[in-house]
Amino acid sequence: MTDTAYGHSLLVSRPSRLSRFIGVSVVGHIALLVAAVLYARLSSGPKMDLDAKPIKASLVRLGKPRDPKLLPRKEQLPPPPKQVDAPKPPPDAPAPAPTPAAVAVPIPGVKPEPSSAPKPTPQKGETTGEDRRKRLFGAFDKTAKAAEEEPEGAEDGDPDGDSATAEGERYFGLLQSQVRRHYNVADTIPETERLRLNTVVAVRLGRTGEVLDVSLTKPSGNDLFDSAVVTAVRKAAPFSPPPEHLRETLQKHGVNLSFRPNAL
Amino acid sequence: MKALLLSLLLLPLAALAQAPTIEISGANFRPLPVAVPAPVTQNEGAKKLASDFDKAFGFDLAASGIMQVLDRKSFTADAKEGMTAGSINFSRWADVGAEALVKVSLAQDGGTARGELRLFNVATGREDLKVAKDAPADKPEQLAHRLADALYRHFTQEPSPFLSRITYVLKSGNNRDVYVADWDGDNAQALSKGGINILPALSPEGSQVAFTTYRKGRPDIFVQKPGGDARAVVSEGQMATGASFSPDGKRIAYSLAEGESAQIHVANADGSGARAITDTPYGLNTSPTWSPDGKRIAFVSNRGGSPQIYVMGADGSGVRRLTFQGNYNQTPDWSPRGDLIVFTARDERNAFDLFTINVDTGKVTRMTQDQGNNEEPAFSPNGRLILFTSTRDGGSKLYVMTSEGNNQMPLRASKGTLLTPDWAPLAQGE
Repeated sequence: MTDTAYGHSLLVSRPSRLSRFIGVSVVGHIALLVAAVLYARLSSGPKMDLDAKPIKASLVRLGKPRDPKLLPRKEQLPPPPKQVDAPKPPPDAPAPAPTPAAVAVPIPGVKPEPSSAPKPTPQKGETTGEDRRKRLFGAFDKTAKAAEEEPEGAEDGDPDGDSATAEGERYFGLLQSQVRRHYNVADTIPETERLRLNTVVAVRLGRTGEVLDVSLTKPSGNDLFDSAVVTAVRKAAPFSPPPEHLRETLQKHGVNLSFRPNAL
Repeated sequence: MKALLLSLLLLPLAALAQAPTIEISGANFRPLPVAVPAPVTQNEGAKKLASDFDKAFGFDLAASGIMQVLDRKSFTADAKEGMTAGSINFSRWADVGAEALVKVSLAQDGGTARGELRLFNVATGREDLKVAKDAPADKPEQLAHRLADALYRHFTQEPSPFLSRITYVLKSGNNRDVYVADWDGDNAQALSKGGINILPALSPEGSQVAFTTYRKGRPDIFVQKPGGDARAVVSEGQMATGASFSPDGKRIAYSLAEGESAQIHVANADGSGARAITDTPYGLNTSPTWSPDGKRIAFVSNRGGSPQIYVMGADGSGVRRLTFQGNYNQTPDWSPRGDLIVFTARDERNAFDLFTINVDTGKVTRMTQDQGNNEEPAFSPNGRLILFTSTRDGGSKLYVMTSEGNNQMPLRASKGTLLTPDWAPLAQGE
């Protein structure tokens, strides 16, 4: 009886498992909370990417629109008058002396390369010896590639955000803009002919974007135009390395570039 | 499921297995880079011609606006390289940026200078043109213009301006004399000797010049052939100025001042049958210029308060104001192509500059800016170039540029103070 009464008394403290559970639970919750806070702190803080290029924004004040009663002004300065060195008959010594001062005709709308490139790019007029020329062109290729890809901003896009197709389209867009930059056609082509000219060039590209082969698959019939488009492709090379899934196609089958002189 | 994903991934690849095609259009048109090595001389006589020939030939190509003549100092080719495709190392020409190579060989044969020109496409190594011309041995520039013209025709399929003539006024002391010259300013010949002779205009084929002269004490219009005598065609009113030949050469338009007004008149080329085609009692109407079809005349009038360019029928009908920008527009010249009128305007900075206006759309385009005063424009016979005066290098000299305002350069021979040039409207054929 005593046993039973004692055993059932509420006043007697007995060892219970409940407090242990509560203790473990509280500690566990606190640990979880701390872990969550720590995780949030560590993972969501601003990442410092030393390679990231700063975005430069500049505020410009839009001027008042020019009074329509006034005569228009040129946005760009007119090209300075080209001084034509009266060509002299060659001196007795036939070896041409290299000078950097090659006469360059300023072409409106086309940026002269030396002023736009960040590093001094070699001018054609400077080249003399074969070795020197190769060295210069090698250097040019490197700088040209860096300079050309910069404005596209495609190469450092989201690495796993796009499907292969979009990546391919983006790559072809890049090719197009790289070629168009060098798409210079002579003024000597008569205006009537400009309307009908069309040349297709097949280009095969290597893994790193180097040009393996350029061939005219459909000549226009105008030699100057045909050679101008081939020159455009060669000058635009090397291209950006093709995306993985296009490499084989571009190496085996290449890509067709269809050129027309006038804007569509 | 995996198979489906894989096929989705490979579908675009399968599509690309055939070479894809990219369309590229909208080329940058720019002058053709041409390498023109010094002419090869076949004999001793040719050596004497070579320098003068070379200067004239180089200017023609450089000022044409469609070619960029590369600096010879950059050339790496062997100076003794031959004239035929087989003997030319084209890669050396490609290296210096040339897309076309022009080789000329000269010979003197008694009183005749002979020249042979060959044009090569540097990329293909093909000879595209082979042409021979000759000229009097004492005029190697003439030979240069003829060969340059052949080259220009080959490219553009139209006559070049190289064989055309220009006229201008040379100011010396108190005298103003009328000259005619080759298009590059060379080979100049005086028409008048002393006194005041102004505002010359060449007849379409360039054979005679109409100009205003004070030789009878008051400003009259005379017509003169180079080497011939001047004859008066308009000697009435207080002042007759701004003669302009119609494109067929049969009529002249000019401005006749009387009292407080000046009216545009049209007469036969000999001055007969004159009649006024404007009638503004107190207005000044000056500087007529014909449209290439001879049906319309553009002129300057201050009837609206300030000098502006107007257009009317050649009989004076349908007057329409053309310029509405700027408050001082003058000296119009109608392009032989018909679409543009080039004129001088004073802008809000009080500088005189050249502008073109599209006759149909009214669109005004600036040609010159921030380089002295630029005035008195005249279109070349083919409408591709504009001759004008500029004070950019001090005194008033003659310059030429393309009709888009590019490639502005001084004429080869431009000494002294030169004013009011005009260009013969018709190209000279060979």
